Amino acid sequence: MPYQCLAILLSLLLAVQPVAGLASTRPDLTLTQALGKSYEELFDLAPGLGFTQSHIDAHRKHLERARDTCIDEYKDAAKSYNRQLRDAQAELRRRTARLNDEERHELHCRIQNLRKMEQQAELLANHAIPTAFDNKLAKLELVEKWPAELRKIEAEIAAEKHYERRYGDVRDIGLRNIRSGQQDDIKRGHEAVQQMKMMGMMPPEMDNPAVVQYVNDLSQKIAAASDLQVPLQVTILNSKEINAFALPGGYIFIQRGLLEAAETEAQLAGVIAHEIAHMTGRHGHRLMRRATIAGILYQAAQIAALIFTGGVAGIGTYYALQYGFYGLGLVLSLDLLGVSRDFEREADQLGVQYAWNAGIDPRGFTEFFSLMASRFGYVAGLSWFRTHPPFYDRMVESQREMMFLPPKDSLVRTTTAFEEMKRALEDVTKKAEADEKQRPSLLSPVEDCPEPDLPRYKPGDPIENLCPAILEAP
Amino acid sequence: MIRILIWILLAILLLPTPLMPIEPLVERSVYLTVEDGDRLIGGLTEENFRVSENGESRDFRLEEPELPVMITLLVEHSRMAAWYWDDITQSLSSFVRSAPDGHWYSLVTYAQTIEVASDFTRNRAEILDAWNRLGQPMWREVNTYDAIYETAEKLQLIGGRHVVVLIGSGIDTFSRRTLGEAQRKVEATGATIFGIGAGSALRGRLEMYLGTNARMELLRAQAFLQMLADKTGGQAFFPRFVTAFPNVMRSVLLMVGHQYRLIYDSQPRLDRPFQVLEVEAFVIEDDRRKDFTVRVRDGWREE
Ligand SMILES: [Zn+2]
Repeated sequence: MPYQCLAILLSLLLAVQPVAGLASTRPDLTLTQALGKSYEELFDLAPGLGFTQSHIDAHRKHLERARDTCIDEYKDAAKSYNRQLRDAQAELRRRTARLNDEERHELHCRIQNLRKMEQQAELLANHAIPTAFDNKLAKLELVEKWPAELRKIEAEIAAEKHYERRYGDVRDIGLRNIRSGQQDDIKRGHEAVQQMKMMGMMPPEMDNPAVVQYVNDLSQKIAAASDLQVPLQVTILNSKEINAFALPGGYIFIQRGLLEAAETEAQLAGVIAHEIAHMTGRHGHRLMRRATIAGILYQAAQIAALIFTGGVAGIGTYYALQYGFYGLGLVLSLDLLGVSRDFEREADQLGVQYAWNAGIDPRGFTEFFSLMASRFGYVAGLSWFRTHPPFYDRMVESQREMMFLPPKDSLVRTTTAFEEMKRALEDVTKKAEADEKQRPSLLSPVEDCPEPDLPRYKPGDPIENLCPAILEAP
Repeated sequence: MIRILIWILLAILLLPTPLMPIEPLVERSVYLTVEDGDRLIGGLTEENFRVSENGESRDFRLEEPELPVMITLLVEHSRMAAWYWDDITQSLSSFVRSAPDGHWYSLVTYAQTIEVASDFTRNRAEILDAWNRLGQPMWREVNTYDAIYETAEKLQLIGGRHVVVLIGSGIDTFSRRTLGEAQRKVEATGATIFGIGAGSALRGRLEMYLGTNARMELLRAQAFLQMLADKTGGQAFFPRFVTAFPNVMRSVLLMVGHQYRLIYDSQPRLDRPFQVLEVEAFVIEDDRRKDFTVRVRDGWREE
């Protein structure tokens, strides 16, 4: 009997909730748990959460404090590893004549592991942890602002005011003018591509015909459904970086890692559509005007220093390559790629439109974003998040646009062609991995060392494992 | 007992050389380029070559060169290099611009010691990037002999086809190894070495201001780079103008791209540490033999 009552009560609650759209706090979900959800889940959940403003503010403060503590902790760890490293090296110098083979090997291993640990602690403190918290804070903002935003959107749709939004003329895609002069970008883009090739910045192109054909077909299909007025030149790069980027004038580069990471055609299409939108918006061109050609290709970003020189004796390079942190997304100038907060939002909105117009489920893009923020952790995703910074406005921009678009049935989520591409890709990946193993090395790492012990992090782990403080309630 | 052993030992040592056992046949692989004036000659076949070792003719065959090539840029990064900094940066950047995709490239810098600035990579841009991030040179010493010795030692551990492009003055200030030790190391390694003599201003417009000692120093440095090239089938370049470096680097890459791989049956003589190798290349035109210049290592040293 009590169970039946409970069931009735529950079903009542569930039935009432969406109608009321009001704040009936779900006691089963704490704010911390909510922030562990994906972006799409949060769009559904947020309106029913009803956390108070003071609760949210307190949590934000808590997150910011946790971030600072966590970053400090890893900066201190890096410093401490560095001290131990110098001690070990001093010991090696002092005792070198008297060491037996076993002692020497132990000391060599200790030095090698300390170098690795210092490198990784620095990478986490400077890049991975800040990105992870950016995502958390974006989600918190979503919990805070989405319910009101949703009401506004619904009201706009009801009043049919959404047609008046910027680029609201989605039935005219292909005939409208986002920003005139796309043709003028071809020369500049071509120059940049040539320059990059000459400097050896481009990873090798993929030559698997099945993969190349599929990705080209998909990209051309989206381009045909977009506002692009220049021919689209698709290049697939055989690199494990999870990213894609567009250069002005119709040049799109899609990396193998992205094809490996995408789970559905819609996700892949979402990213491609976003990149095409950077071209139709001429974002790269507009930011490039400020830069000199030398500055265009390379961002003298700190991350590049970390990854390329790797500090002591280049061991970092060796280590970084193993983890696949390194990639174009980390060194290319954001101006060249047209990355800025405003341009990202614009590209998100237009990208959603292009995918939709091509008959593909536009939710793929936000899904892929969530995927990067969770499954791939923040280390494998460093390149992605550098060129696609996570912040609340862009998530909302995409979501709002999806709601404003006229409903379409049979939007494609995935296809057998996509699955076939994935199968063909497996061979490419295997070959590339075997090739990487054959990479000769001048550094001759010390063999048979115990695994380095700290930091407690593997690529792909959620960042919470590193900073347990963020799981505590304020 | 000991006396018998000594007698046996003496007997062995006193045996006349012709009776010394000759090593069983081993196959040796060498890389070489063939030139006619300033033209590189490609497309030759086995009929166009003759190979001799220690003055005796040897059987050989041509094979496809191994790919990818492992190319190590060994670059001076000392305080002294301030005198010829432009030469070094020009060489490096034009090399990176002209180098083809698909090979492995690494950057090793030297002054007091060697540093692996960039381990082998397919991404040539990493080489420039690593160089740009090195910052100001810290050391006054330029230990070129040590640098070549230690680099060769590292390369010996990695199999395959190696090319070293040494960019620097060639001057040595304070190496632990002697010139002779560096030379013997190079003779024992299979890498082809190209020497790019930095210091064009010192050979060009500043030459007349140099004192006798400086002039001698420079000549010694040039001779060292020349020796490295002659020993290994490479080439040494000493441009007099900084503007010549892009062409020089293109020539180096062109030569690497036109190397023949020749495998011959070696029968080293155990009574000498160094086995002399000679390769001739020629064509028969109108019943007359036309000879080409062959750039090939001048022999091998067993370590
Ligand atoms: Zn973007």
